Amino acid sequence: MTDFFLAWLTVLPGYVLPLLLASLGVVLSERAGVLNLCPEGFMAVGAMTGALICLAGQGPWLGVLGGTAAGLGLSAVFGLAVVVFRVEQTLAGLATVALGLGITGVLGRSHVQKPFDGVPRLSETSWGAELPRVLGQQTLMLPLALLLLLLVAWFLTRSAAGLRLRAVGEDPGAADVAGVDVQIVQLGAVLTSGAFGGLAGAYLSVASAHVWVEGMVAGRGWVVIALVIFARWRPLRCLAAALLFGGTEALMPRLQALGVDFPVYLGAMLPYVLTLAVLALTSTRRGARSGAPAALGLSYLRQDKH
Amino acid sequence: MIKLRSAFATGLLAASLPVAAGAFELKSEPKIAFIYASTVQDGGWNEAIDKGRAAVSEELGLDIAVAENIPEEATRLRAAIDLYVQRGYNIIVGTTYGYSEAMYEAAQAYPDVAFFNASGVHNGENMESFYARTYEAWYLAGIAAAEASDSGKIGMLAGFPVGVVNWDVNGFARGAQSVEPGIDTTVVYTNSWWDPVKEGQVSEAILDQNADVIATDLSAASALNAAEERGAGAIGYQIDMSAAAPENILTSVVFNWDAYLTPRIKAVIDGSWEPEEWGWFEGLESGVVDLAPFGPSVSEETKTKIADAKAQIIAGELQPFAGPLKARDGGEVVAAGEVLPDDALWTMDFFVDGITGTMPAGE
Repeated sequence: MTDFFLAWLTVLPGYVLPLLLASLGVVLSERAGVLNLCPEGFMAVGAMTGALICLAGQGPWLGVLGGTAAGLGLSAVFGLAVVVFRVEQTLAGLATVALGLGITGVLGRSHVQKPFDGVPRLSETSWGAELPRVLGQQTLMLPLALLLLLLVAWFLTRSAAGLRLRAVGEDPGAADVAGVDVQIVQLGAVLTSGAFGGLAGAYLSVASAHVWVEGMVAGRGWVVIALVIFARWRPLRCLAAALLFGGTEALMPRLQALGVDFPVYLGAMLPYVLTLAVLALTSTRRGARSGAPAALGLSYLRQDKH
Repeated sequence: MIKLRSAFATGLLAASLPVAAGAFELKSEPKIAFIYASTVQDGGWNEAIDKGRAAVSEELGLDIAVAENIPEEATRLRAAIDLYVQRGYNIIVGTTYGYSEAMYEAAQAYPDVAFFNASGVHNGENMESFYARTYEAWYLAGIAAAEASDSGKIGMLAGFPVGVVNWDVNGFARGAQSVEPGIDTTVVYTNSWWDPVKEGQVSEAILDQNADVIATDLSAASALNAAEERGAGAIGYQIDMSAAAPENILTSVVFNWDAYLTPRIKAVIDGSWEPEEWGWFEGLESGVVDLAPFGPSVSEETKTKIADAKAQIIAGELQPFAGPLKARDGGEVVAAGEVLPDDALWTMDFFVDGITGTMPAGE
């Protein structure tokens, strides 16, 4: 039993971290009022770019960085569309996903299924060889992700810039009057969400699979969107939600391998069922704060700026 | 009354007339198109079929049109087929089970066009579905796995619990048991056809249970990457996956679709094609399914054993699902001296004895 638990704990970060990283980006973007359906696309370009850089022999960390930059680049297109040209955010988000998937299909074509050396596990480093397996199997991406989580949580709740960002998401008009440049804040939030999505994608290829194939994000970006709603747009709750969603996903194959009769379809449904439940619960309590930013999804247009 | 009866008789006569049987004939110059549900470079299923397409193209000296990423939705597929037919294409090859219904409808709408569908379910006067008895090759792979295993436990990744997957799983287990009767085959269904990250993670889950050989029934090579990292034996599927585990590869169960496609499409062109009533369905003897070259760790003795079993299967002396065959959760499925009939193969929804794992409830 202990062995089973330890083995599960060992692989847990592989399931949790990509969801967590991408969801932090979505939180930032949506707390600034920009509805963000893009993570599937951000992650796709991040995964491909990271792998291509590794295949070119530039090393895994440059790959991670490149994947992050690729997500940021794609989010610039999305940001330009929704913040500058005020395109409807749902449509722009879906188009961005299609664009991301299309780009990876075209550019990555000749690099599928080629294994490379990814981010080393701690046990493979010169100083980590003696670590117990549950730690030794991890990569430096684990502390990095936790650090980013704390940073985002601190930024949103404790910093003046975070306050401005939240103000933009709740009432852009009021924020504007108070002297906040709404567009700059939203653009910054969108770009950061792209970087987080790209990082999550690079995690999949460079830290987890050590290979790139088309479509390897496989719907995780959509789970992230559900996860953020489930977490009510709070960074720390994103960690809890990612642990729940990822933990269940990690548990299922292990129970199957043991021969335990586990209802896998129910397990696969879990993220969506829980999200629906939370949506239903928060929308029935009249007047209660649902946790969603008040101006989420609305394009802000100042009256005198036609 | 008489009138009525004669009308009835006429109807009966018409019905009893032999259907304008005979070979299908093209009305114009052959123009061939292949339609795929994802990219052709998926490193597995589609890539295997596309190799067959390239061979047909070279053999016949014809350019073949290719459409990729056509979703398994009736309207999307039909739009693609309509476009090809309008442009004069008259041999259309689909490549997935999910095209079955829409393709069958198109075949009825376009009787002058020849339709083929890989792993489809429908057949007609101008349509033929085709698949291979993959369980025969998986039986051979099971022998390789059992010979390589020291721990007495081997693992396998599968997609969804449908007949064509379940017979691979059971064939693999039966092959392994032919060497080591007590061997444990641990099977995990990923509930997707394509999720390379998850497949790698699931492989680790199986390897954590002390399995020392892992086989994949899916298109991605993640299981082989995981096996290579842990030093466990690896068995690939659909194309030779040895590049993903050069040290530890045992073999791969591979498709050679050109062995079917080339003669079949030639037959359409020269007017001798008669679609199989229940679809085309052959195994090792046709060469459509086979094993890839063995890895460096496979002994000569094992190779001989596998060659013998292969010869016996081709000669019809050995049948992977010959009785006595017991289901793990239930009684005897096939009595001694009998073999599992084809219709039972397609609906196979049980594990044979000796498999650990859960088969998700079927629909």
